[in-house]
Amino acid sequence: MLQKPMHSLLKKIINSGIGPGRFAMATVGMGVAVLLILLAVQLYANFTQLLHGKNNSNNVADFLVINKTVTGEMQGQKEKSTFTPADIADLKAQPFTEGIGVLSSTNFSVSVQSYSDALPFYSDAYFESVPDEFIDGNTANWSWKPGQRDLPVIIPAFFLDLYNTGMAMTQDNLPQLSMEAIMAIPIKITVKGKGQTAEFVGHVAAQTDRLNSILIPQSFMDWANEQYGYRKSQLPTRVVVKTKDPSSPALVQYLAQKGWKTNAEKTRFSKIRGVVNVVVSALGGFGLLMLLFGLLVFSLFIQLTIAACKPDITLLQTLGTAPSQLHSFLMRRFMPTNLALLGVALVVLAGLQVAAARLLQAKQILLSPWLSWQTLVAAALVMLAIWWVNSSTVSKHLAMAQPQ
Amino acid sequence: MTITLDHIVPTPLRGKLAARPSTVWNKHVLLTPGQWVKVTAPSGTGKTTLMHLLWQLRTDYQGQLLYDGTNAGAFKPPALAQLRQTQLSVVFQDLRLFGQLTARENIELKRVMHTPAYCTPADVDRMAEALGIAHILQQKASICSYGERQRIAIVRALMQPFNWLLMDEPFSHLDQANIARAASLIAQECQRRGAGMLLADLEDDTHFAYHQHLQL
Repeated sequence: MLQKPMHSLLKKIINSGIGPGRFAMATVGMGVAVLLILLAVQLYANFTQLLHGKNNSNNVADFLVINKTVTGEMQGQKEKSTFTPADIADLKAQPFTEGIGVLSSTNFSVSVQSYSDALPFYSDAYFESVPDEFIDGNTANWSWKPGQRDLPVIIPAFFLDLYNTGMAMTQDNLPQLSMEAIMAIPIKITVKGKGQTAEFVGHVAAQTDRLNSILIPQSFMDWANEQYGYRKSQLPTRVVVKTKDPSSPALVQYLAQKGWKTNAEKTRFSKIRGVVNVVVSALGGFGLLMLLFGLLVFSLFIQLTIAACKPDITLLQTLGTAPSQLHSFLMRRFMPTNLALLGVALVVLAGLQVAAARLLQAKQILLSPWLSWQTLVAAALVMLAIWWVNSSTVSKHLAMAQPQ
Repeated sequence: MTITLDHIVPTPLRGKLAARPSTVWNKHVLLTPGQWVKVTAPSGTGKTTLMHLLWQLRTDYQGQLLYDGTNAGAFKPPALAQLRQTQLSVVFQDLRLFGQLTARENIELKRVMHTPAYCTPADVDRMAEALGIAHILQQKASICSYGERQRIAIVRALMQPFNWLLMDEPFSHLDQANIARAASLIAQECQRRGAGMLLADLEDDTHFAYHQHLQL
């Protein structure tokens, strides 16, 4: 592009005499701006990593059971706590929803009873079912076909805990039961409806943390509701949403706005995330503002340099120096400073990241000691912005120093 | 490169042209490649205007100026720079040297502006020697005498490849001996390139074997 002898001659000619002190101050300001922007990006990347990284939580989707809140005004109007098809379609359309399953419930009378006197119990009950993809735990024998007397059941994990730590401890005649023991106990399940009665032998097939309900296979639910159900169909009162990001502020805000409820534990992070988002945005916004000022100051420096040497630049162009030669000379004058400050900002950030990773490691939290790719992309974008502003400023003011 | 002046009238000279005859203004003039042209122009007849116009430093004229059939006004700055690096060279009446640079640096600037360079550093020394300015090459141009600066400007103009060499009173501050040496060097360099020249001066002269005489 620009040969060295020409470059050194131009260096002698284009010498604005603008104080190095002011230039250094502008450079420092620009450096702080770049550092702030990249810091904001890195912080955000770190936080995302801590939240979703496979070291810190399961990378698989989470399941949230959602129901409508029952309020005083709704009492006596059970249909108000059901989800309409429109509700479900709307929920399905939300960005955080990866899948949606409807919990169907029994529409007939159910009672469960023990066969053995060693563990006597009888209770009215109700079952729910969800599509199989929303089931967790061992689902190997999770099926039911018409004609089958044997009926697998999934119970919520807290049932067993409640029984073992509460019931069994306080009642002398009740033994504590392991999961294996529970699974071995047959349960008499009596189904009544439409004037018919049927009996099934239930057994606990698995326990679940995911859904707070007693689950039976969807195929049994569909068959039994048809056979014994009082009403033709019933709108669901609970739905299960599959989501990658249960603490997404958007999800929490959506539920709050609808007045719907879900497992608060899983969404608890959203408040912290809200705070982090504000901090990171403020930092990034401030950095961006400083970058704009930095760019303005730098372009003023370029303008000043060209203006101060305007007669010389005009004469150079008169003698035949190409605008591209002057352009690349001036870019070479300003860009290395910018590149250097970007490099320094990245080195400082890399140092901070290593320090942060070490600090967190002592607390058993794993954080990557490397800068995130988002930070590097942001650095490249910042560089591109600086280059573009410098380049267009140089072109614009060179054109103004054309002879004539 | 053929230069065509097609009925050109500079704006400042409009209205003054009727007073005296001119073979350039408002005429069709063809400057064919390799031609050596003398333009004789008494003061105030637009000699420097003609030079600046040919160099495209001013565009305030009627009529058309064509470089090889292309309207000079159509040249964008990059194309104009290319033209000034390879097709046209000039010795301005006011020389236009960089005072802060040494004589050699002023010459070097034009030598290295276009790559590959047409002349070698040895050419610079040879030409400076021929014109008797070898001893002031390391001096800042601002402290050289006008005659020395005139010769620096001549050497600078001879550094590049060109088709046409434009000169505006190039010898005004030189004595006869120096004029003879400068003219001989210029003639030699024009012949080396097969180039044409256009020399504008106040009076007639016999420095070169002109092919064409024009009167402003």
